[in-house]
Amino acid sequence: MSKKFKVSRRAFLQTAGVGAGAVVFGSYLTPALQAQGLISNLINGFPVSGVPVVALKVNGDVVIIAHRPEMGQGIRSSLAAVLADEMEADWKRVTVKQADADAVKYAVIFPSEVPTNYPLPHPYEKIPGTQKPKVQYMVPPEGSQFADSSRSMTAYYTVMRLYGAGIRLAMIRAAAKKWGVDPKECRAEKHRVYGPGSRSIGGRSIDYRWLLLGAGKETPTYEEINAALKKPEEFRYIGNGKEKMPFVDASDMVQGKAVYGADVDVPGMLTAMIERCPVANGILLSYDATPALAVPGVRFVLPVLPSGYPAGGVGQGFIPHAGVAVVATNTWAAWQGRRALKPTIQWNKGPHKDYDSTEFRKELEAATATSDKTKRVRNKGNVDAALGTPVKATYYVPHLAQAPMEPPAAIALFKGGRMEVWAPTQNPDGAQQLAGQVALGLPPCPPNDEACQEKMRAAATLHMTLLGGGFGRKSKPDYIVEAALLAKQIPGVPIRVQWTREDDIKFSYYNAASSQHYEAALGADGRPTALLQRSALTSFFGTLFPNFDTPGLSAAQVAGAAVVRAETFGGGEYPYASGIERAQGLEDMPFDIPNIRIENCQARNHIRVGWMRSVANIYHAFGICSFADEMAHAARRDSKDYLLELIGAGRILPLSAEEVALYRNNELPVEIIKVPFSGGKITQVLPGFPPDTRRLRGVAEAVAKVSGWDEKVKQYKNMKGRGLGIAVHRSFLSYVGIVADVSLNDRNEVTINDIFGVIDCGLAVNRDRVMAQMEGGIVYGLSYALLGEITVKTGAVVQNNFDDYPILRIHQTPKIHTYIQDPPADVVKEYEGNVPPTGVGEPPTPAVAPAVANAIFAAGGPRIREIPFKKFVTVL
Amino acid sequence: MPVFQLNVNGKGYAVDIDGNMPLLWALRDILGLKGTKLGCGVSQCGACTVHLDGVAARSCSVDVGVACLSKITTIEGLSYDGGELHPCQKAWVDLGVPQCGFCQPGQIMTAAALLRANPHPNDEEIDAAMRGNICRCGTYPRIRAAIHKAAGDATS
Ligand code: FES
Ligand code: FES
Repeated sequence: MSKKFKVSRRAFLQTAGVGAGAVVFGSYLTPALQAQGLISNLINGFPVSGVPVVALKVNGDVVIIAHRPEMGQGIRSSLAAVLADEMEADWKRVTVKQADADAVKYAVIFPSEVPTNYPLPHPYEKIPGTQKPKVQYMVPPEGSQFADSSRSMTAYYTVMRLYGAGIRLAMIRAAAKKWGVDPKECRAEKHRVYGPGSRSIGGRSIDYRWLLLGAGKETPTYEEINAALKKPEEFRYIGNGKEKMPFVDASDMVQGKAVYGADVDVPGMLTAMIERCPVANGILLSYDATPALAVPGVRFVLPVLPSGYPAGGVGQGFIPHAGVAVVATNTWAAWQGRRALKPTIQWNKGPHKDYDSTEFRKELEAATATSDKTKRVRNKGNVDAALGTPVKATYYVPHLAQAPMEPPAAIALFKGGRMEVWAPTQNPDGAQQLAGQVALGLPPCPPNDEACQEKMRAAATLHMTLLGGGFGRKSKPDYIVEAALLAKQIPGVPIRVQWTREDDIKFSYYNAASSQHYEAALGADGRPTALLQRSALTSFFGTLFPNFDTPGLSAAQVAGAAVVRAETFGGGEYPYASGIERAQGLEDMPFDIPNIRIENCQARNHIRVGWMRSVANIYHAFGICSFADEMAHAARRDSKDYLLELIGAGRILPLSAEEVALYRNNELPVEIIKVPFSGGKITQVLPGFPPDTRRLRGVAEAVAKVSGWDEKVKQYKNMKGRGLGIAVHRSFLSYVGIVADVSLNDRNEVTINDIFGVIDCGLAVNRDRVMAQMEGGIVYGLSYALLGEITVKTGAVVQNNFDDYPILRIHQTPKIHTYIQDPPADVVKEYEGNVPPTGVGEPPTPAVAPAVANAIFAAGGPRIREIPFKKFVTVL
Repeated sequence: MPVFQLNVNGKGYAVDIDGNMPLLWALRDILGLKGTKLGCGVSQCGACTVHLDGVAARSCSVDVGVACLSKITTIEGLSYDGGELHPCQKAWVDLGVPQCGFCQPGQIMTAAALLRANPHPNDEEIDAAMRGNICRCGTYPRIRAAIHKAAGDATS
């Protein structure tokens, strides 16, 4: 037995000892040990580490741990159903329990046999002063619970299946032994094993609960479990399974029983509202607590940041903005107290006090107008020689706020030197470590210092609530740090920090404002012979890592941070984009063009920048898919036919051959790798996810077909004010095609009639939730395309609430038609029949804006090159 | 402070609070009814929707001093006598409407009030009644379908 299995097993036993979240083994002593024995056997036989996601109870019921945050993507149902399906569990006997933050426990470790050249998500060995981790992670702790980048299913699909199949196999064998028959003649179905012969003619069957003891003695090997995995046509719940997929939270949600961040009641809790410095990195000078303390119910008025703490903003990661908290017995008292406090506060607004987003836009556009100071991120052939008199266009996307329906909220209790936190978060591990750091009063850990991280985790417990939407906002735990900092000052009293909508709109981590510039030479046949592309965007890592726009730092601190950032995030260095942002629709521009040059421009950071659903794909897809349509019109071609020609027959993008240094493929490997396990007895296909334009072509053709493109184009030609637009985009490893059908009347009022969306996300595990994410992602895309804009004046965000930062409403929502598309047959074959599931939360969004812009143009409207479209057409 | 008599979900409560406190906070912080949500605080989103005498109202913008004059129903009291689910709740589950679910208590309260006033609304009537309720997850197409289903009508 290899060393890493011992590690895993210990972790599991600890879990069992403390109750595995909510699985109380202790109360069922003997059978508990039986069940534990089975799970331990499974863990020891796996080529991946023991991720403690399942436990069996004495009555045979199964408890599945939801270790990832639930924010509306349905992951609590979907991952549990993957395990239940393979296990042949009767869903009525499944309970799903939410885990606490515990990132190391849920990390997935590679088997020792994995080749050392397997592309790891994080190149630890390259970071100076950090240690290479002792184990090779397939899903590292920092990603094991972090719900970002639409990765939950991709990362855990196989693990959940292996557990389920292992349990099923052990149950079948236990039953076969009991009956003295060959296990090959037995099968499992919904918590029962059936023996030879059919049910009707006296065949035997037995419930799982009577098999726990025997199953606990079984030790199915990895090879056997792997061989026992179901074929797609055998799925019960997932994929095209015959039974309805479960949806664990729906009933609670419609009755108001579902518990979100602000809904947790901790006895003795006080509520805090915080008046924050409106400008990033601004410092608190003075305030007068008297008027706030005069409000009945107000108990404390406190600065959020202890003295000596830097104020949050550019380069300060998740440290909150400077602020003063009003802590009261109820929310309304805190709200009124804050109102009374506000006029008494003096801020030093610091170096970003003159930031103006309108001026900044000019800076971004100037940056994309020239190749000066740009970084070349992809190059093929000779663009300069081929350009001639090009078609040109520049596109702009402003700052956008995620605006999840639930404004941020968090509760913290500091007691006995530890922090206990209840919060809705996409980033439980990051939040737990930061809470621990506050509890201990220590500076942040150096990157990848595992011992330090463990110390921080040990000082805090974090309970995950449901998220009332995340969209990237809740991967930034600044609001949790606020709660912890206040709790530290009022030991023994649980403190709930409640944000208002105004707080949420004014203190987001905004999606970067971006300028995109394109130039193309069209050949005699109308097709491009050369494409030049420049992108300017403020990197999230400018907010996360200290840099020369962060006040109060020494040159050495800035230089040190720059090295870590550059090495960790694919050559990203301030003020350029990171490898992650470049890989979101920039470096992987999909069109087949003989000469290509892609450049990344400088863009500085003056406000907190963070990620919003689909992130850099938002502006990259808007730019390239709009420009594709502009080229089609310049060439007098049908937009869809031209798009298919741009994509070409389909290929795997040869990015490294075209000078892309390190393509960060959503932090997952590009290549499919076949690894021999168990001394070569079996071959494991480790999923790789190459950017494959065969699949892009597949969704483009499919969406053209389901939208009736060809017929409608003919029909609309003779109609005034009606048009179709198409766009396609790969993001988070999935492929999406969108067609928009719009009307534009004489008063320049636009109506979106229909949106057609097709997704290829490999195996669609939970088809209903994939559809739901498609519908929701399309609405999200329409919302920012038509209406979204955050502006900044004198360093402060101008918008306040849904009246001036509008969100798409029901009467503005078109008919939405969504389809799930299988990958092309040759792709399926390359994956040996099992195309792994890929992202669905973010991929539906990016192609919506360009499809609508293209449709508005086709309907006789203006060529819209910036978001929001409401500046050019009237959205009713 | 005066004591207000609140009638919530058929139960009487005497609450000793500031009469200007919005009903939303009285429900959540004082009565512990957490199903009614804060979305915007300014009558823009509908997440806080309750019924006052059977009519949909934004609890973030109704003071306790006014709300005490009406019978208040919250999402916790919508299902008949706390037992069977309201037809909207059933339809919402059947069609898998919720994503994050946060806006849904407010959506359902608005929809239930609509169906009480207009048992068979068409799409335009649904849009008109529901346009005050934001769903950031974008569940609008299923909300429309679920209202038709709750009304016993085929989706138009
Ligand atoms: S919270 Fe009352 S309408 Fe938004
Ligand atoms: S379901 Fe998330 S806001 Fe409506």
